[in-house]
This record gives sequence, C-alpha cells and structure tokens, in this order.
Amino acid sequence: MSVSATTKVRAGSSASAAAARSERGDREGRRLGLALTLPAQLLVLFIAAFPLLMQAYISLTDWSPLDGIGWWQAWELWNSFANYTDLASDTRFWNALWRTAVVMGICVPAEFLLGLGLAILFMDEFAGKRIFYSVLLVPMMVVPAVAGYMFFMLFQSGGPVNDILSTLAGTRVSVAWLSDPNLALLAVIVADIWQWTPLMFLILLAGLVGVPEDQLKAATLLGASWWQRFVTIVLPRMKAIIVIALAIRVIENFKIFDTLYIMTGGGPGVATETISVYIYKLTTQDLIWGYVAAIALAILIALSLLAAFAIKRMAAAGKEAP
Amino acid sequence: MTRSPAFEIFRYAAILLALAFALIPILWMTSMAFKPIPEWTATGADLTWWPKSPTLDNFRFIFGESTSALIVALDRTAGKPILASLLSATFGTIIAMASGTAAAYALSRFGSGQNLPLALIQLRLFPPMAVMIPVMIMWSFLGLVDTWWGLALIYGIVTLPFAFWLMKTFFDDMPREIEEAALVEGCSRFRVFIKITLPMMRAPLASSALFVFILNWSDYLIALLLTTREWVTIPVYMASLSSSMTGQLYGAKAALGLIAAIPPVILGIAIQRHLVRGVTFGALKQ
Repeated sequence: MSVSATTKVRAGSSASAAAARSERGDREGRRLGLALTLPAQLLVLFIAAFPLLMQAYISLTDWSPLDGIGWWQAWELWNSFANYTDLASDTRFWNALWRTAVVMGICVPAEFLLGLGLAILFMDEFAGKRIFYSVLLVPMMVVPAVAGYMFFMLFQSGGPVNDILSTLAGTRVSVAWLSDPNLALLAVIVADIWQWTPLMFLILLAGLVGVPEDQLKAATLLGASWWQRFVTIVLPRMKAIIVIALAIRVIENFKIFDTLYIMTGGGPGVATETISVYIYKLTTQDLIWGYVAAIALAILIALSLLAAFAIKRMAAAGKEAP
Repeated sequence: MTRSPAFEIFRYAAILLALAFALIPILWMTSMAFKPIPEWTATGADLTWWPKSPTLDNFRFIFGESTSALIVALDRTAGKPILASLLSATFGTIIAMASGTAAAYALSRFGSGQNLPLALIQLRLFPPMAVMIPVMIMWSFLGLVDTWWGLALIYGIVTLPFAFWLMKTFFDDMPREIEEAALVEGCSRFRVFIKITLPMMRAPLASSALFVFILNWSDYLIALLLTTREWVTIPVYMASLSSSMTGQLYGAKAALGLIAAIPPVILGIAIQRHLVRGVTFGALKQ
C-alpha cells in the first residue's frame, strides 16, 4: 500500500520489458509444452476414449468372441439394455460385490491399525531400527502372484500354518483352510494383510516423522500424557496422510485379484469370488463379452462418481481448514 | 525422548512378532525351493522348516533338466518366461518414463496438459479387469496378443500415472535458477530440458524408473489375459507348473517364485528413500 509512485513506475516499465521477453518465451514454452505432453496425451486417449466407446457399444449387444463376427458387427446381436437389466438381478454379481466390500472392510482397517501401531514404535531411535525397518517393508515388494503362491503353500492342510497351530495347541491340527468357504476367505484376508500392512507402516511413519519434535517436547514439559500428545498434536497433523493412506488401500484393495486368484481361484465354489475374479471368469470361461462390458462400464461409472464425490468433499474440507 | 525399560521390552517383543509374521512366508518358500521331492509335501512329524537334504534340483528342473524319474522334463523351460518378464517390464518402463517425464516437465514448467493429473489418477483408480475387454479386442486387432512388445505397451500405459506424478513432484522441487540462467545465456527451452534439466535429475529419474519397473515386473492379471503361450511372463508360467499327472510341483514353483521375488526386493530396498513418494503418487515426501 505504501509503495511510492516512482517505484511503481520503474516496476511497471521493467515489468513490461520482462513481459515482452517472457511472452516470446511463453510462446516457445507453450509450443514445447504441447509437444512434450503429446505422447502422454496420446497414450491416455488410446486407452480411454476409444476403448470406452467400444465398451459402451458392445455392452448393448450379446456379442461374444465365439460368434465368429467382428466386434464392429455386434449390432447384429443388439439387445438394447438387456445386459444392464440382467446385471440388476445377477445375484452372483451382487454377492461378489458384497464379498469385495467385506474383504476391504476387514483388510483396510486391520492394515491401518497394525501399520499405525508399528509406525508409532518406530517414531524414536532404538538399536536396530534401520534394519528392522527395511526387513518389515519387504512383503510389499514381493510380486503379488508369488505372495499368493507362498500363502497357497502355507495354508495347505499338511502345511506350516497347521504345523505352527499344532505346536501352539499341543495337539495335531489339520484344518483344510483353502477348501472351507469361510476359512478360505480368512486365508485370503491374512495374505492381503501380510502384503499391505508394510505400505500403511511406510506411509504413516513418514507422516509421524513429520510431526515437529519441539511441539511434542513442549507438550511433555507441560505435563501432557503420551495419549494427550498423540490425540492433540500428532493426529491432527496426520489427517491428510491418513486419508491418503486409506484412499490408496481402498482403491487397490477393491481390485484384489492376483494373490487371491492364485490361492483359491475364487473358490471353493464362489466362496472367495470378488468382483475382479467374477469378471475374469466371465471373460475367460463364459466368454459373454457383451455382458462383461456392461458390468465393467457400470463399475467404471460408479467409481468415477464416487471419486468425483470424494474429491469434492476433500476440496471442501481443505477450504474449511485454516 | 527416553523411554521406560518396560516400553523397550514391549517394543522389541512387538517388532519381533511383526518380523516373524513378515518373514515366515518368505522363509518357507525359500526353504521349499531347496527341498528335494520327498520333502515337498512332508507333513506332521516329517514337516521341516529347513530342507534336510538341500538340493539345487528344483532350479535345474525349471531350466529343463530333470534329475528325477518321478517328473518328466518340462517341454517349456523358465528361460523364455524370464526373458518375457524382463523385456516387457523394461520396455514398459521406458514407455512410461519417457512419456511421463516429458509430460511432467511440460506441466511443471509451462502449465501444459492440465487435464493429465486427474486423467492419470482416474486411470489408476479403475480396476484393470474393468477395461480389459476393449484392450483384448484392440490388442488382437493390432496383432499384439502374446507378444512381449504388446505387454510392454500396456505396461507403459498402466504405470504412466506413477511415472508422471513422481517426476512432476521431482521437477516441482527442483530449483529453477540454473535453468533460468541457461535461458538467459540464449539456450532454447528444449536444449535446457535435454542438456541441463535431465542430467541434473539423473538420480530421481533412476529411482522413479526402478519403482515403475517393480510395478511392471509384479503384474500377473494383464499378462494372464494378454499372453497365451509364446511370451507368457514368470507368474503366468509359474501357475502352469502343475499337471494332473504330477500335481503341484511345489519345489519347482518355489524356485521360480524365488527368482521372481528377488529383483523387486533388491530394487525396492535400493530406492527405499523414495518409496513413500512412489506409493503416494508424490503426495508425500520423506
């Protein structure tokens, strides 16, 4: 407000010279920017625009790759919205969706709490911290298909899990984990928790380390208990990080396929059939691609709406926060 | 902050428990990889955590040399699937990193491609299973099914969001003074990008590329749908290592699993510093 007239003028003239210079630069920058984004834009277009249209088109037909006609001729098998009305009454689909939600409802909170607990233990220095940290992160780096095979072996009825349980119980335990509907789901959940708790640990620890130490020290001097410090200083600062960690796991857990499919193939029966497994089976075994396209498109639309809603909510929350 | 001895005991006990949980599956597979056939399915009192008579037969077997009368030699050895995994993951990484780095730089410096951040997050949001029908149709139309280059292309697209977001945060963090100085010297913006920015970003580029490579190497579902015989990758080949005649080839599968698991674990530990940034799309830095 108190800038003198002369400085204003001088700033103005140098700004206009800079503007002229930067306008030339801007044009060059815009051109280069356009060129540099081109490959990425093309790849996105290649995987988004055309496939979506194709998917929408096929979803309105009874087309299957076995019909002997190309997908572009699928209109010969036009069935209007029959696939979508079928979907509404497809109990196997709704069960798979529900099962996916159950798996998520158990895995994500368990991974979060275990990861947070571990992260709290790693907040300050102690002997062996670095090596423990590295080793605890290893499960998330194991190829998920290989992790699935590990747990397939572990949960065999003559396998090591039963061996450990036998030792603990003192009697011979031989549970057929993967052929019991409920236990198979539990085994799949254990495998997911094994693989992805380290991810929660990694993210949450990075958040905890970012909490300023002097504030914690000050609070300690003022006589705040550990729990008070955690709730009043640490948690509020961790809010965004917790949201990110949970969002990542919810998104990835919804896709659950690799470990699960190798462990149980969705079985016994359909006991561990999640959405991805159900679509996979329809795609490769039933080959009713028109119907698969309808399911896939419905899921894409539902997820997009959910994501748009979540982003809007988060943006609103971000504005409210100081 | 000093802690009470009770807390220290609790801490080590909890960490040891977590370590046991983390390591038991890995130990079991490693031990299985070195077990001879009779020990593969030993149960009860015969179950052993360490192979009683360790052998490399499982590794010899998957590379085509059968040393047991019980199991006939494989008609397809693990060599080609390992090559398929290496080629598709490497070239997929090159596609993702090249297009992602260029776009990230353009957005970070010139504000180009404002639609990309959200579009790429959406790409990551969708389950691959929900877009595979059109991809399978397109890939078969383009003759890309069952080729490593077809896999590389889809891997490049699937991991593009990570490459883009990672590099964007690295470019955003980079001080601009040197670039600006070069511009004043009369360098074109393209030359600045190629000759100055990229060489300065060698370390972030390397760790982002390794991160993307791990993701590509870890794929199972896409290769399961897009490869059939010639260019199946390690996980797909591994799942095929069981027949009605021999049942599960536990040891052979474990040996292959070990080979598949080792590269990402080593690379992951090598880029441990940047893992947080990687998994959170650059939202969080360590």
